[in-house]
Amino acid sequence: MSEGPEKLIRVKDVAKGYRIGSHEVEVLHGINLEVREREFISIMGQSGSGKTTLMNLIGMLDRPDSGRILFNDVDITGKTQKELVEFRRRTVGFVFQQFHLIPSLTAYENVAMPLVFAGDKDHDAVASALERVGLAHRMDHKPVELSGGEQQRVAIARAIVMKPKILLADEPTGALDAATGLRIISLLKSLSGDMTVVMVTHNRELASYSDRIVHIQDGNIAE
Amino acid sequence: MNLHSIVLKDISRRKTKLIVAVLGVVVAAAALVAVVTTFTAATESLYEESNTFGANIVVKPETRSIPLVAGSTSAGSLFTGENYIEESEIPRIYTIENKANLAVVAPRLYGIAELGNSPVVVMGVDPEEEMKLKAWWNIRGHWMAEEGPEKTEIMVGSDIAGPMGLEEGSLVTLKQGDVYIDARIAGVIESTGGNEDGYVILPLAASQYLFGKEGKVSSLEIRALCNDCPVEEMSRQIMEVFPGLEARPMSQIVQNEMTMIEHAQSSAMAVSVIILLVSALTVASTMLASINEKIKEIGIMRAVGASDTQIVSMLFLEGAIIGALGGILGFFIGTGASFIAAPLTVSVTPSPIWMILPAVSGICILTGMAASLVPARKALGIDPAEVLRSV
Repeated sequence: MSEGPEKLIRVKDVAKGYRIGSHEVEVLHGINLEVREREFISIMGQSGSGKTTLMNLIGMLDRPDSGRILFNDVDITGKTQKELVEFRRRTVGFVFQQFHLIPSLTAYENVAMPLVFAGDKDHDAVASALERVGLAHRMDHKPVELSGGEQQRVAIARAIVMKPKILLADEPTGALDAATGLRIISLLKSLSGDMTVVMVTHNRELASYSDRIVHIQDGNIAE
Repeated sequence: MNLHSIVLKDISRRKTKLIVAVLGVVVAAAALVAVVTTFTAATESLYEESNTFGANIVVKPETRSIPLVAGSTSAGSLFTGENYIEESEIPRIYTIENKANLAVVAPRLYGIAELGNSPVVVMGVDPEEEMKLKAWWNIRGHWMAEEGPEKTEIMVGSDIAGPMGLEEGSLVTLKQGDVYIDARIAGVIESTGGNEDGYVILPLAASQYLFGKEGKVSSLEIRALCNDCPVEEMSRQIMEVFPGLEARPMSQIVQNEMTMIEHAQSSAMAVSVIILLVSALTVASTMLASINEKIKEIGIMRAVGASDTQIVSMLFLEGAIIGALGGILGFFIGTGASFIAAPLTVSVTPSPIWMILPAVSGICILTGMAASLVPARKALGIDPAEVLRSV
């Protein structure tokens, strides 16, 4: 792998384990991975292979036990909790399998949430984000009033409203039917023109739409 | 949209939880308000009742006693000095500094007369003033009305009325020397356990006529009306105005009043503190249960950029809203409850104490926020990666 300015993310010798009862289980064993700017990559692997763990580490929802993660050549693993909150706000967007929208809020309000937490008063970006995912006309609806595909598109709008550098999508089509899933992948593909997209999936067909597929097997990269 | 609206929308969605948590505060606030309202009414009532106990300053002519001793044996005392106060001097009492506290100034003239063939103690009073001083007397009949020195209405104590077979409307004659007064019994005073049980009470002018003491009174019974009467000071002021008189504060009465009030207040405070603690626990447990339900949402919020401070602020705001709603509702329910409970328990009718509404709301808001501390601590321990992975 070559190093250069186009490398947005560099994962270096990252290991991560969890304590399950009295046992320490290592999920990732010294992973190395580089992702370029505006690249759309898929991380594939069987259940428990560590793909979601890797995605959470890239988004700094979790910290590695060892190794480093560099973002634009800056090591982010040593950042303080406060710095990480700011990093996630401004740099990373998350999309989850179960959408994870706040049920009491409308589509507009769900999308506006990151702006509220970041203290941004200008909410013009909300309408733009909803327009980008084709849901400007559904902005006043609550999640329960939206279909699964629409909810996931709202979740994607929420993830891109801060114009992040990286969009991390964990099984974004896992709760959707095949046709709807394809629409979501198509949307992610179009978004990768503006940002790096890292998608975790176990669906080979959907992964084939990405620029590159990274396989994780038993906590190691098997590209 | 802001943090406040996120919280408001969230708690409005969880109506059942909101109602349970608010009810916890409502119960505590209502109990608090009911206790305070009832005790305040009881205390005021107690104070009003204590005002009817009688005088708390007695003014008498100054007398000196000379002990009579025969060898080593005491043979009593010999009292010297003027035994009467000039009635015309009484208005001067209203020149003392604390004149505003003089609620009742009741002149009395004592003497012994014959009723039938029996000697009785006669007390001449100003009916209007005496009625204020002895408002708690139960009279079979009515208070006497002055009709004139020779023919008047009188009242008799139960110890006289019973043995002599006197009742309302009975006609009697009081005799002192050569002076006679025909009187009609206006009322019989039901037994009080006090001296009046053995008194014949008649209007001051009639008693002065009976005893030939026109313009003179034996003593003044004074009721000072205030929460913390400076009766000692007032007694001193009275003696300054009447150099030949002795004004004695009956401080025991005042002391008893204050003790009763303090006891009532202490009880109210103790109950209030216990209720507040129970309230805090109720809100904390409800919010804790709420946190368990909201773990996923808190994880999402942290993933999309919420800081620890923002998460804690939202929980504090939720606690404050629950506290405010509970406090305001509790005030009205507690006030209503006191209207039912107070007449049954302390035989008083309370009034709403509007001035405690902000205080009760404030206390409930603080209680709600304090109850948020444990849930907030739990929320800060939520690992978004773990939560979002497991749901």
